[in-house]
Amino acid sequence: MDTAVHKDSEHALIEALQHGDGSAYERAVREYSSGMLAVARFYLDPSSAEEIVQDCWVTVIDAIHKFEGRSGLKTWLHRIVANRCKNKLRSNKREVTTDFTEALDPELADRFNASRRWAQPPRLRFDESADTLLENGALSDCLDKHLSALPETQRSALMLYEAHQHKSEDVCNILDVSASNLRVLLHRARQRIFLMVETFQESGEC
Amino acid sequence: MLMCKDLAEIASDYIDGELATPQNLAIKMHLMMCRHCRSFIGNLRVSTDLMHAHSSSAPDEALMRKIDQRIAEALRARKKG
Repeated sequence: MDTAVHKDSEHALIEALQHGDGSAYERAVREYSSGMLAVARFYLDPSSAEEIVQDCWVTVIDAIHKFEGRSGLKTWLHRIVANRCKNKLRSNKREVTTDFTEALDPELADRFNASRRWAQPPRLRFDESADTLLENGALSDCLDKHLSALPETQRSALMLYEAHQHKSEDVCNILDVSASNLRVLLHRARQRIFLMVETFQESGEC
Repeated sequence: MLMCKDLAEIASDYIDGELATPQNLAIKMHLMMCRHCRSFIGNLRVSTDLMHAHSSSAPDEALMRKIDQRIAEALRARKKG
């Protein structure tokens, strides 16, 4: 699209939003939500990310009156989402913290005997690829549920590093953890996902 | 000697290529001899891949409609207030 035309149409959209035009909101939601969701998923699990995006749109109704157009609408919306996510992470800092001296999840640690061999080895081998596994909607839902149940920092580490492939040092900065503690967070979170998939594959239960 | 539990403790570092060469070799040797640990590493890799694949899905229409509804409610409340 021609930039000038794009600017004009964005300007018209912003004016309509400022007038509280419902159909303008519907258009804007469809145009910008997928980018906003992608930003939220840098920080949060899928269901919390969706909640944040919903909350942000409600905030926009008031905030759009203060929008001065110094940045594009999209950048402005993404900044609102990022700030909300960061606040949410900060407010949850007093959550149950991960014991950084333990590399293993307690449930997995219990599966080894005193001579450090497997007492209860992996019960099956995940033969299918991740993409094939996710075609099962029930597994995908179960994954969401377990992601939501992870301690917030483990989840954020997993999302930032794994899902969005941020560099380790960026993740350390965002979460305010050392590089070695980030490794623990990632490993602990991956073990939870492993345990969940194993149970699901074996019993179909979440 | 590297035991199964030792391997499990550093499995993510192995998958991500974060280990120094001697440790890396010790793991490779262990994996040649231990099918349980081969399964574990394989499964942990799939679990890791699952996160990449899972997060790339686009927002669905149901979410859009939920947002429409919340905006409509907020706009109504604003008009009343």
